[in-house]
Amino acid sequence: MNRTRQKTTRVLIFIALSILAISNIYPLLFVFMNSLKDRTEYLKNPFSLPNFEQLAWGNYETMISQFQIFKLFGNSLIISVVTIFLLLTLGIVASYAFAKLKFIGKNLIYFLIISSMFVPVQVTIIPIYMLFSRLHLVDTYWAVVLTYLGMFLSEAILLMTATFRGIPDEIIEAAELDGAGYFDILRYVIIPMGRPAIILCLIYYFIVTWNDLFTPMILLTNMNSRTVMVALASLISRYSGDPTFQFAGLFLAAIPAILVYAVFQKYIIKGIGEGSTR
Amino acid sequence: MPFQTLLCVSTRLDFMNSQWSTNFRRKKALQGILSVLPVLVVMLFIRFYPIGEAIYRSFTNWDGLYKNDWVGFQNYVEIFTNSPFWTLLRNSFVLLISVPLQIFLGLMVAVLLYEEVAGWKFFRAIVYVPQIISAVIIGYLFRIAFGLDGPINQVLRNIGLEFLSIEWLGNSGTALFVLVFCLTWFSIGWQAVVILAGMTKISPSIIESASLDGANFWQRTFLIIVPMTARTIEYGAIMAIVWTFTGTFAFIYSITYGGPGYETSTIDYMIYTKFYQASAEFGFATGLAVILLIIILVLTFAEMYFTNKVSEWE
Repeated sequence: MNRTRQKTTRVLIFIALSILAISNIYPLLFVFMNSLKDRTEYLKNPFSLPNFEQLAWGNYETMISQFQIFKLFGNSLIISVVTIFLLLTLGIVASYAFAKLKFIGKNLIYFLIISSMFVPVQVTIIPIYMLFSRLHLVDTYWAVVLTYLGMFLSEAILLMTATFRGIPDEIIEAAELDGAGYFDILRYVIIPMGRPAIILCLIYYFIVTWNDLFTPMILLTNMNSRTVMVALASLISRYSGDPTFQFAGLFLAAIPAILVYAVFQKYIIKGIGEGSTR
Repeated sequence: MPFQTLLCVSTRLDFMNSQWSTNFRRKKALQGILSVLPVLVVMLFIRFYPIGEAIYRSFTNWDGLYKNDWVGFQNYVEIFTNSPFWTLLRNSFVLLISVPLQIFLGLMVAVLLYEEVAGWKFFRAIVYVPQIISAVIIGYLFRIAFGLDGPINQVLRNIGLEFLSIEWLGNSGTALFVLVFCLTWFSIGWQAVVILAGMTKISPSIIESASLDGANFWQRTFLIIVPMTARTIEYGAIMAIVWTFTGTFAFIYSITYGGPGYETSTIDYMIYTKFYQASAEFGFATGLAVILLIIILVLTFAEMYFTNKVSEWE
C-alpha cells in the first residue's frame, strides 16, 4: 500500500517536472516553428505546425544574405572571445597572487577589487562613454571588451581566488624545489588544479557576453561593429516588421549560447550551486 | 674539527640561508605586486574613475560638450521633485513582487528535483534553460505573446473570455504584470539550482525520518527544508533584489520600451533614455546613477549585516 503510494508520488513528480520542462522549451520551439512559416500563415494560427510541403526557408536566406547575421555573429564572437581571453589571463595571474603570494597591501587591494562587484554598469556607463570617446575608442570592440573586463573581473577573481586557495602549498613548494619559475607554476600547477573554476568562467562569461544588450548598445553605434543582440533589438523595435523573419533571426542568435550550455551544463549547474553555498 | 670553527660555519650557513630566504621572499612579493597590477590598472580606469566621475558630475549641469558648471544639489532636487523618479521607484518595487514568486516556485522545483525521479538531471538542466536565452529573445516573445492580436488574446477569445483580451502592454498595471510574469519565468530555474545546492548540505536522513514520522509534503518543505536552507534562500533573495534593480534593462527594452511614458521604466532605464535624449542631460543622468548606486550599496550592506547577525546566532 505504502509502496504503491510512493510510486504514484514519483510518477506525479515526473509529470510535474515534465510540464515545467515543456514550459521552458516551448518558447524556443514556438520561435523555430513560426520562423518556418510565412506571415499570413503565422497570423492565421501561431500555434499550428508549419506547412511541411513548403517551409519558408526564405526567412533564413534573407537573414543570412541581407541582414548578414553571420557577420554580426562574427562581431559578437570577437568581443566574447577577446573578453574571455583577457579576463582569464588577468584573472588567473591576479588570483594566484591573492591566493598564494605574500606582498604589502594585498588585503587592501583585494578588498578594493571585490568591493566594486555590485556596482552596476549603468552607474558608470556615461563616464565610460565620455572617456572612450576622448580616446577614440567608441565604436571599437575595445570599448566593449574593456567595459566587460571592469564589470566581470572582480567576480571572476573572487571565484578563482577561492578555488586557488584550496591548492596545497606543498605542491607549489615541491615544484619550486624542482626549479619551476613563476610561469611554470601557473602552467603546471595552478591552471590544471584550478580547472573547474576556469572552465566555469569561460562558459559563463561566454553566455553572458553573447546575450548582453546594454553595454554594446551604448558603446557600438556603428552599423558595422554592432553585436548580434544589438542588431536584433533594433530589428524587433520596428513594429511593422515581419514577425516570422524576426523569429528566424532570434532563433539563429539563440543557438550558440544554447550549444555551449548543452555541452558544458554540468559545470554551470555545479558552479552556480557552489557559489551560493560557499 | 674545533668547536669554534664549527660555530663559525654554522652561523655563516645561517646567514646565507636568511639572505637567500629574504631574497626569495622579495622576489615573491615583487611577483605578487606585478601579478595584480594589470587588474588594478583596468579597475582604476574602467571602474573607480567612472564611479568618482559619476558622483562629481551629478553636482554639475554637464552635457558632455560645453556645459559643466557646479550646480550643487540642483539635479537631485530636480530628480526628487520634478521628474518621473517616484514612478521609476514604484515600478522597481512592483517588479520586486517577482522575487517571492520566483523563490517559492524555485523552492517547489528544487524539492521535486531532490526526489531524484528518473531523468532528474535532465530536468535540472532544462529548468535552467531560460537563463541561457538572451533577454532580447525572451522579451520579444513576451511582447508578441501579449500583443493586441497576439497568441494569448487569440486563445482568450477562442475560449470565450473576450473581455480579458485587452491591450496588455497599453497600461501600466497590466504591462507591469507582464514584466513580473516574465522576470519570474526567467528566474525560477536559477533559484531552483541555488536552493537545490543548499539542500544537498542537509543530511538526507533528516528528511527521510521526517517522512517516516508522517510529515506530509508541505510540512517537510516548510518546517524542515526552508529553515535548514535559510542562508541559501536569503542569498537567492538578495541577489534577486539587486538584479531587479540593475539587470532588467533588456527585458523592459524589448517588452515595453519603458512605456507608456515612463510607466514601466526603472531607474537604470531612465539613465539610458537620458543618455540618448538630444538635450543630453548627463548631470541629471549621473544623479540618477548615484541614487541607484546608493540603493545597491544599502542592499549589499543590509545583506552583510544580516549575514553577521545570523552567524552570531548560530
